[in-house]
Amino acid sequence: MAVMRADGPHRKSWLQPGASRLAVILALLGAWEIAARLYVDRDFLSPPSIVLVSLGDVLGTPGVPEALGLTLYELTIAFVLSVIIGLTVGLVIGLGRFAHRSFMPIVLLLYGMPQITILPIIILLFGIGAPSKIAFGVSHGVFPITIAVAAGVQNLKAVLLVSARSMGASRWQIFRYVVFPQMVPSFFAGMRLGMTGVLLGVLLAELYVSTAGIGYFTGIFTQNLDSAKLLGLVSILAAMAIVLNEIVRRAEVHYSRWRA
Amino acid sequence: MRRTRAGSTGRFWSRVVQLAFLACLLLLWFLATTEWGVNQLLLPNPIAVWDQLLDVVMSGEFVSDLILTLEELAAAFAIAISLGVTLGYLISRSPYLIKVFEPLFAGIYAIPIILFLPLYVLVLGLGPASKVALGATIGFFPIVLNTIAGFGTVDQTLQKAARSMGANGIQMFRYVLFPAALPVMLAGLRIGFTVALLSVIGSETLASLAGLGHRIVNLAESMEMARTFAYIVFVVAIVAVLNTVVSRLEARGRWR
Amino acid sequence: MQSPDPVIRVRNVSHQFGEVGEARYVHALMDTSIDVARGELLCLIGPSGCGKSTLLNIIGGLTRPTTGTVTVSGKPVRGPMPRDLSFIFQENALFPWNTVFENVLLGMTFQGVARAERQDRARRALEAVGLAAFGDHYPAQLSGGMRQRAALARALSLQTDILLMDEPFGALDEQTRIVLGEDLSVLLSESKKTIVFVTHSLGEAVFLADRVAVFSARPGTIKKVIAVEEPHPRKPAFMTAPKFHALRDELYNLLHDEIRKAMSESSGLPRRYAESGGAQA
Repeated sequence: MAVMRADGPHRKSWLQPGASRLAVILALLGAWEIAARLYVDRDFLSPPSIVLVSLGDVLGTPGVPEALGLTLYELTIAFVLSVIIGLTVGLVIGLGRFAHRSFMPIVLLLYGMPQITILPIIILLFGIGAPSKIAFGVSHGVFPITIAVAAGVQNLKAVLLVSARSMGASRWQIFRYVVFPQMVPSFFAGMRLGMTGVLLGVLLAELYVSTAGIGYFTGIFTQNLDSAKLLGLVSILAAMAIVLNEIVRRAEVHYSRWRA
Repeated sequence: MRRTRAGSTGRFWSRVVQLAFLACLLLLWFLATTEWGVNQLLLPNPIAVWDQLLDVVMSGEFVSDLILTLEELAAAFAIAISLGVTLGYLISRSPYLIKVFEPLFAGIYAIPIILFLPLYVLVLGLGPASKVALGATIGFFPIVLNTIAGFGTVDQTLQKAARSMGANGIQMFRYVLFPAALPVMLAGLRIGFTVALLSVIGSETLASLAGLGHRIVNLAESMEMARTFAYIVFVVAIVAVLNTVVSRLEARGRWR
Repeated sequence: MQSPDPVIRVRNVSHQFGEVGEARYVHALMDTSIDVARGELLCLIGPSGCGKSTLLNIIGGLTRPTTGTVTVSGKPVRGPMPRDLSFIFQENALFPWNTVFENVLLGMTFQGVARAERQDRARRALEAVGLAAFGDHYPAQLSGGMRQRAALARALSLQTDILLMDEPFGALDEQTRIVLGEDLSVLLSESKKTIVFVTHSLGEAVFLADRVAVFSARPGTIKKVIAVEEPHPRKPAFMTAPKFHALRDELYNLLHDEIRKAMSESSGLPRRYAESGGAQA
């Protein structure tokens, strides 16, 4: 509460928040390193230095790079499918008021359902290969996109429509030049959430299947109490998730520039 | 945009379409398993599912799993609240700390933290401890982020007015900061609850020896499809009820 | 203008935000001095950014000046002085989660008024502003004018000698402003409070003030102080009197160039354009 303070010389101007954040992360890593080396049983929690070294081992383990590649493939396909389906359904629902009132509640109801409960069924039905992972990813990713697109279309300012019509725009022109651009920022926001959903769905499915893919290796590393390799594998997946999220986020920021 | 029936007639027909849609789905499901010869091992008969559901509820078979899941949830949520609210309030006191930590937390929250379940299982085993730990971890983030937002964005004019009237630190917290932050914080608690619940069920599904999630996996692997579906319906209902209760509680705390 | 026993004494106050060379550096006030006599209403008027709100915050102890001193009722100002002065802000400062009555009570809680007295004082304050029937309404349920009256009730219940008002009617429509201005004038004549009032409106300044301090553009300092010799309570008829128009014209002439200077600074137009009164050089 800086209500009562003389504005003296500005302190800490060299300590940017970004640098501090990095410092916090490094401090945490440092504490982890010390704790792991001195106090905790090496088997349970490896220090970061060991994890870094074993990253090479992890990638060298036969089957791991393939599993990672397959996961990336599943993520990409699931995301693309989610976008296509989400955009289509979202436009259909959003553009018609009756369609919106009828079907949106159904969409929201399905979105709220805990999908993890049907994961065992999905695997039984679609098998342990890529299709089931993609299906589960799509079922998580399609809803935010649909909802965001429908909302973006619905939230059109009436004055923009009236203005366009007064200038003689046809229905197609109104869609292309007024409705669609209006909807784009929401679309990208929906895609960001959709990517989070796809990541969740695909990775959940991968972790569930213990006979192949990532789930197989997490199982092996856990059984062998190889915490270094496990941490390494999980870190690679986390990094993948961060990068994919960041890509979509940057796209969203770029295409939403006209919004204040 | 097409002009449609406005007002209550429109709403009525929307309801009709929704119910018709759901009825159609049920009908298709029924037909698929009885007339069209879809393998009962893949898709059980809706009547069979209903029978199994009644059996589960009447026999009380669900009780031990439900209690375990709820206990894990309660513990996870309690930890998440304690850490989230405390840390969130402390961070909100300094704009600098907010700038450092808020993006950090938001960034971590964006990845599926359930990824780290194998690590928790490695360290804490297949028992409830790993579920509680993961649930607390996942539930922590929306709570801390919303607490930071709630306390960090209290209208400056209100704080200025209170100071000018002589409010001390405790009075400022009790009469200004806390009531102002409460709605946002409660929303964070609601979200935290929901994700903690999903996390607990999820980790029971992936790596556990007991609990509702594990029960579904068990039944599915034994190919007892009708009973599996029954439990899925049951769990979905439980989740819906819990979420509704929490939403109602949140609405009570709102003054906006 | 020096009075024998000023309730507020401002001496050589300057204030800056940030350091020279920083992006956020602003020289808000430059060597400002003025006295405020007991029972008078002093208006501070000037272009945007001239520091009048900053000066009000400094008088009220919410900001410590970079240089200079302020004395209130003989005491040097070092922080908020809730027993001597109360504030009314332009943005609504009523707590939205409390009713009007609770808001008034809360102000007294902060000030430290004995619990037994609070209810009675609150009731009387609300009656004084005509909101007795609205005590259990929430601020969101009231109009803008009523909310500011509630804020005034809260300030009155604190029974301070001095009221500091920062464009209190700025967010209201003109008709409400006129009515509230008349009410304020009546209040002043009945209660003998000292009021320092910041405004943008020339008419409001002339109608309400005993004296008007005219500020220059940033960095602000008091250019001239004009006296309005007209007893309170001022009748609506005053607004059409020749004296009113003459004073308003005088204010306009003093302010016009300062306003153009302030605008050119914020819009980046060349100063020459602004100083020549807007005409092409």
